[in-house]
Amino acid sequence: MNFPEELRYSSEHEWVRVEGNRAVVGITDYAQDALGDVVYVQLPDAGLEVIANASIAEIESTKSVSEVYVPVTGTVVEVNGSLEDAPEQLNTDPYGAGWIFVVELADPAQVDALMDAAAYQALLEE
Amino acid sequence: MRRDAAAQMEADLACLDEVAAGADPVLRLYTWAGPALSLGRFQPDSDVDRDACRERGVEVVRRPTGGRALLHGGDLTYAVAMPRPAGEAGHVDALYRTIAGALIAGLAELGVTATIGSDRGAAGPACFATAQGADLRVGDRKVCGSAQVQRGAVVLQHGSVLLDRLPFDELDLLTGPEPDPARAHRDLRARSVTLRELGVAATREAVAAALAAGFASTLDLNLVSRVRNPS
Repeated sequence: MNFPEELRYSSEHEWVRVEGNRAVVGITDYAQDALGDVVYVQLPDAGLEVIANASIAEIESTKSVSEVYVPVTGTVVEVNGSLEDAPEQLNTDPYGAGWIFVVELADPAQVDALMDAAAYQALLEE
Repeated sequence: MRRDAAAQMEADLACLDEVAAGADPVLRLYTWAGPALSLGRFQPDSDVDRDACRERGVEVVRRPTGGRALLHGGDLTYAVAMPRPAGEAGHVDALYRTIAGALIAGLAELGVTATIGSDRGAAGPACFATAQGADLRVGDRKVCGSAQVQRGAVVLQHGSVLLDRLPFDELDLLTGPEPDPARAHRDLRARSVTLRELGVAATREAVAAALAAGFASTLDLNLVSRVRNPS
């Protein structure tokens, strides 16, 4: 299982990649494996103001619906519309084409409180 | 229009909320006051023939869980709300297997040998027209379809065990373009089986008791059972 070093991770199995004052968010390789084949992604609306740890997206896989929690506070500025036609990208490329949404960070320092790859892997091994 | 089906979904979700707030896990077993068609959380509204539902007095309700349309009225529904186990046991397919074990044990009490389904059947809008790893079958016919929602550390799974058939089926209530409707109805019937067709003469109450016993004997949980209208 793959956990890129350059990303930060949440305990709810989301990853964050910081680009300037924006955070790209998706679900981890572990999460996609736990869900199984993704058949639908309910995306948030761009412009939505979000508070860290709120549920703002949903994923359906194998007749199970799971929530996606935003790990940071800010405003959703972009969503990955390609998931509407190709939700399986969450399985095939969770850190690349399977990104879910981008949040403009209210407080970039908030990302520092998220786990690094080693801490996230340690969490999974608990 | 009655709101019984909507109330059932609210009651299932209330169990999830209670467990999320720290209450003991809950097993609900219930039957429906009248025919109802439940749709998966993200199933398109356009799948439903609203006029056909109205004509037959079928309440349409949306489930909080995934999957496809399921006709209630001839079934016994279970709903289990519990903490999501840590690690791999909390994965979607592992949870389905765990709960399948409870259902299989319950059905065994009725003399029915059920197994976990594997993917078969074309994708379509009707739950019982296909079998997946989330489902139970007897031979190659589906007897129980299930669906799930996970919210953080808790999970709700509910599903229907077929007891009897109604005079109509899902395909009478869905819009799907069927090139050969008679064949589609035959296929749906051939891919599913009811407890009555399996020769189970038990009352609904007895089926509910058997399923509750299956959950109690296989899940290491302090399950609180709630049975509603089983007879």
